[in-house]
Amino acid sequence: MDLGLDRLRNMILDMAELSSNTVNVAIDSYVQGRDLRESVYGWSEELRILQDEVSELSVELLARYQPVASDLRFIKSCMEVAYGFSRLGRYAHDITDVLGIFGDLSKCDKTQIELAGKQAEDMIRLSIKAFADRDVKLASKVKEMDDLVDNMYISFVKKAAHEQTADIKCTVSATLILRYVERIADHATYIGESVLYIVTGERTPRK
Amino acid sequence: MTVGIQLEKPKPEKQIQHALPVAALEKDKIETEKLNAFYGKNHAIKDLSIKIRDKSITAIIGPSGCGKSTFIRCLNRMHELVPGARASGKVFLDGNDMYAKGVDPVLVRRRVGMVFQKPNPFPTMSVYDNVAAGLKLNGVRNRDRLDQAVKKSLDAAALWEEVKDDLWKPGVSLSGGQQQRLCIARALAVEPEAILMDEPCSALDPSATAKIEGLMTNLKEEYAVVIVTHNMQQAARVSDYTAFFYLGELIEYSETTTLFENPSQELTERYLTGKFG
Repeated sequence: MDLGLDRLRNMILDMAELSSNTVNVAIDSYVQGRDLRESVYGWSEELRILQDEVSELSVELLARYQPVASDLRFIKSCMEVAYGFSRLGRYAHDITDVLGIFGDLSKCDKTQIELAGKQAEDMIRLSIKAFADRDVKLASKVKEMDDLVDNMYISFVKKAAHEQTADIKCTVSATLILRYVERIADHATYIGESVLYIVTGERTPRK
Repeated sequence: MTVGIQLEKPKPEKQIQHALPVAALEKDKIETEKLNAFYGKNHAIKDLSIKIRDKSITAIIGPSGCGKSTFIRCLNRMHELVPGARASGKVFLDGNDMYAKGVDPVLVRRRVGMVFQKPNPFPTMSVYDNVAAGLKLNGVRNRDRLDQAVKKSLDAAALWEEVKDDLWKPGVSLSGGQQQRLCIARALAVEPEAILMDEPCSALDPSATAKIEGLMTNLKEEYAVVIVTHNMQQAARVSDYTAFFYLGELIEYSETTTLFENPSQELTERYLTGKFG
């Protein structure tokens, strides 16, 4: 059982590293106008496969050992966290797709996306550290950071709705990407919540 | 952020604190108050106060020697049958102290039935007589009444369909699982108010275990069922409430789902996750 739990933890940490890099590359590729769809798609597929492997191992551990208490909470959370990481890969892929759909976006203002992207990347990094160290304080901090990304997205959309002179291509592409970044931040928050659940057994009601 | 696991056992308070699951809906059937049990100088149960709900299954878990079996034997005064054994404190059944002066232990055992680890049908008796034995001892001689009671008890023990054509075969000729259900039928025949089960499935195969577990779920419609088990998965499967005992003390008592998913005591957590015991 302990060997299985260690293996599960290592698989999650592998997924963590891969998904974090995938998101970073996707956001950078948008900011720098580089088409990295193929690479990012490959990594997102890899994450999806890893998620399946985590699910399979989790189910095997549940069936073979019928764990309870913190072991049960850990396995249940690993399945959720693995799903979260695979979603990060998918959103990263969606971000790189925007460039393919809209073409050259070099003239667009990317400040907001850079800021929100940086915040989301920090959230992923902290949620991974919180998971690795079972750090409840860090997990709670990730949750607090999510409000900033939410507000950036909402303010941008509200502003765009009333902007008469804006470049429609820039506005729509940035809205889409900010939406993906906002969802990425949400999943980092969920990973933080899973850490809280593993350690304390308390479930956080979702917004 | 406060972590939900306490690192040390809470110190016992002077005032009696009955352990009780918070969200319980049924009334209490059995209640112990500062129950202590001894085997000679060995103090097996220590100041144990607990309320057991009616029409529910309560599982008692804990490592070997933690006092699980001793505890349930105190509930129907079987503990005192062991030479050198004694108990103090109070055990209430529907509010009446079963250890009060003048209470007949035989009557207590009739009101609170017991099923043991190893099926123990009376070896010389038929299936029918095994079930009817308790009633006959209580003076019931009317054949129709005995027939009805035997059928009703075997039905309730989910055994009637399997043995209705073999009622006069020896009880010991049945399979292990059937023998255990026969013992349950025997316990039910005297119309008890609560059923105690001491590791009732540990000598049975998975299929017989599943039948007994299904039967327990039926029995709780009518009775308070208390089961002692080493099999944590069984406790998790069948019980509504679970109590964790350690060294004769009640460490934690709560709804089964809570105890198995999120125990509040470090000791419970360590036991459940196989860190000791």
